[in-house]
Amino acid sequence: MLVRFWGTRGSLPVAATASIVQDKVAHALLAASGRSFADIEEARSFARNELDFATSGTFGGATTCVEIEAGDPANGDPYIICDMGSGLRGFGLDAMRRCGQGHARVYHFFMSHLHWDHIMGFPFFVPAFDPNAHIIIHAGHEDAEEALRRQQEEISFPVKFDWLRAKIEFRTLKVGETYQIGAVQVELMEQHHSHSSFGYRFTDAEGKVVVFSTDSEHKMDRMEGEADVEQFFGNADLVICDTMYSLADSVSMKEDWGHSSNIVAIDLCHGGRAKRLALFHHEPVYSDADIARMHAESVRYEELTREHDPLEVLCAYDGLEVSL
Amino acid sequence: MQWSSTEQQGCVVASPDGRVDEATAEAFTEHLAASVTMAADSPGKKLIVDFAGLDYMSSRGLRALTLAKRQADAAGVAMALARPNEVMREILAISRYDKLFAVTDSIEAAI
Repeated sequence: MLVRFWGTRGSLPVAATASIVQDKVAHALLAASGRSFADIEEARSFARNELDFATSGTFGGATTCVEIEAGDPANGDPYIICDMGSGLRGFGLDAMRRCGQGHARVYHFFMSHLHWDHIMGFPFFVPAFDPNAHIIIHAGHEDAEEALRRQQEEISFPVKFDWLRAKIEFRTLKVGETYQIGAVQVELMEQHHSHSSFGYRFTDAEGKVVVFSTDSEHKMDRMEGEADVEQFFGNADLVICDTMYSLADSVSMKEDWGHSSNIVAIDLCHGGRAKRLALFHHEPVYSDADIARMHAESVRYEELTREHDPLEVLCAYDGLEVSL
Repeated sequence: MQWSSTEQQGCVVASPDGRVDEATAEAFTEHLAASVTMAADSPGKKLIVDFAGLDYMSSRGLRALTLAKRQADAAGVAMALARPNEVMREILAISRYDKLFAVTDSIEAAI
């Protein structure tokens, strides 16, 4: 099983400005002071291996889109995609390339919810214009079709939903059921968020488990219900979890904004004995340095509160691939 | 979880002992609520939670502190956290709870 992150930012796409890039270049030049490089490859190697990630790279700015590659795509297993944020555009282009190499043109989407940042990529999803593509949109919500059609009405977008050429289906999934879809078994869990959201647990034939749990607030006055969340995260190889705010923000100024914290995500993963956590749905006002600091603090909190096997804490970024 | 309460210069000083995790969070929450009620009846109308005996605290304990602070605010009680060990000091910083609560190195400084 392979997990590819196409969009990891929360709420709103962001992009680096000229001054942000200049700042990274300045830090890189300082770090390289006194050194010379024989060629671009040597310089690339320095950037990749010796600079910190916030200087040499970026966590990216595309909104939620995660691909789960399971089974054997070379032998017809379909695409599995969580959410349609702005990161979906990049996935769609890459999927067309892979389809040209023989990948099945079947796309199973699993929608956490229907807020704008989680559906805004669909009008730019090139495979939707492919008459040979089959797109199945799975959601816990019954109004998924309405949400996708509405954003392509003329007042918002020039291309109507009905002009799309792919065969598009909508399927409503129920909590408590287990579905075999493509190369994975899928279960879902309802989460606390405006208009509700759903987390998904994917299990492949080898028993590898990925949990996708974004836009989920774990309320202070419902802490007794967290045992169910820990069970849903139970023994997962990877939990992708909303960690948008600090715990203090999530219980004060940003309470009821529908999001979680790095601290609660780690506690839930510890409780469920998960193996890896990917910090996800990054706050759009955070710089790369802010996210890197949050990641380092999360790793430290995990160490401080660990009672069993270590939980590996990753920080998702646009382009990250995690092999399970 | 061990818990003791004393009154110092009109303020209630509550002293939990051990660790606050999933197993002890409920007891911690209940003790905190009772301590806020006690502080509301005290002359200083202040609750100081003495962290000296606490090994560490998970998010459940931290959120219990927030619930207690809401109860305290409604009752006109001020709340402070005193004498965290190094681990607790780190957890308060990582969670940014050191921005929500006054944190002091001694009981006297909190009074």
